[in-house]
Amino acid sequence: MKLQHYIGGLEGLPEPLGVEPLSVEKRVFVEDWETRIFGIHVAMMGLSNHLGAALPRYPIQDVPTTFKDYWTWGHLRSSAEAMNPIDYFRLRYYERWLAGITQLLIDKGYLSEEELASRTKELMANDAPSPGNASPAVDEQIVQYLRNGDSPRRDVAHPRFAPGDRVRISNVPAAAHTRLPGCLRGRVGTVERVFEGDYAYFLRTGDGIGDPMPVYIVEFRPQELWGARAESGRTTFYAELFEAYLDGIS
Amino acid sequence: MTGQFTYPPDREETSAAKVAALESLLIEKGVITGQTVDKVLAYFESEMTPLNGKKIVVKAWTDPDFAARVVDDTPAAIAELDLPEGMAGAEGEHLQAVANRPGVHNLIICSLCSCFPWPVLGLPPYWYKDPVFRARAAREPRHVLAEVGVDLPDDTEIKVWDSSGTHRWFVIPERPSGTEDFTAEELMDLVTTESMLGVALAGPAS
Repeated sequence: MKLQHYIGGLEGLPEPLGVEPLSVEKRVFVEDWETRIFGIHVAMMGLSNHLGAALPRYPIQDVPTTFKDYWTWGHLRSSAEAMNPIDYFRLRYYERWLAGITQLLIDKGYLSEEELASRTKELMANDAPSPGNASPAVDEQIVQYLRNGDSPRRDVAHPRFAPGDRVRISNVPAAAHTRLPGCLRGRVGTVERVFEGDYAYFLRTGDGIGDPMPVYIVEFRPQELWGARAESGRTTFYAELFEAYLDGIS
Repeated sequence: MTGQFTYPPDREETSAAKVAALESLLIEKGVITGQTVDKVLAYFESEMTPLNGKKIVVKAWTDPDFAARVVDDTPAAIAELDLPEGMAGAEGEHLQAVANRPGVHNLIICSLCSCFPWPVLGLPPYWYKDPVFRARAAREPRHVLAEVGVDLPDDTEIKVWDSSGTHRWFVIPERPSGTEDFTAEELMDLVTTESMLGVALAGPAS
């Protein structure tokens, strides 16, 4: 069980938004270096080998990069969910990205801790690094990805459930990565909408998603999720859930 | 949250050095080019910005038929507008708009991570990614909204949308009263990223 899967509804955390409304942090980046790790992540997404099968089918094998792996949101999210939960709260958003992305690249064998340490020293000593030899075609592929995306939508859906159906959210053992918010486990909701088509998830999570399947909007009453701790007033909570996370109610 | 922990004095310098080393090694190893990161950032600055969302909202405010279409079939409605190519690109593959109306206020959250409709809103602001916001907005949205200055009538329904699946969500806020004579440009000034996520009402930017 990972704390990161149970953020929704977690109580007792310190004030998030400051005392004054104006202290809401509206900036996207708060340090210049954050833009660089964001750019690196987007580049890896645009070079990910899953794009050969994603729509539109990118000629990913022909792109002159040495990157020959999968790199999707699922991979980045897995790294954030693998983090010690104290660090998850201690680190700022892009600090988590930097830690997670660096570890992924080390795990996949693209670089080593030693190389990073020595390169850091060289850069601080102002030694100019090698310019590299990847061609502009690499950047063209990344821009194509940004422009065209990678829809996980596949053929016509055969949904098990219809709007109005009552469903119980499954309580499958948690895997390393999930798209099931923890606060919904075992709770009963009502299907509000069935999206057209089936949707893949580009990383098999081990808890049921990966292959194309229907996706639903399920509506929950706050009292069902939070019991006596639900806020008063009229509120409806909607979650977008893959079919693997829904069980029928007989 | 930051106040809960102590950090080394060279916190930012260390991260900056690490990311520079990372980028440099990826360039040297032929994974990316020396221009890749700058090109990615330039793309976001020019193509994927909240300006696109503002245009969508103002169109919905000034064209009731469009207002209905943008909720019913968001990608098709957006495709009618003169926006940059790529509104169905990365993180816009499956966009879904929801509209505020008298008695209904929508709030977009992502309790698991930070899913965000890049093409129409750009990149997520820090508050949206804050685990404390994500935790609290799920259970006590009315309280959180009041804290950021959105005091809703008691009988207004709050619809909280948790972006845990494949769609990327944004809000069409209500058009402020007294703006009947505003030009499209003046109306656009009333639309903020925050109002397109439901943590603010449309109005002059604060």
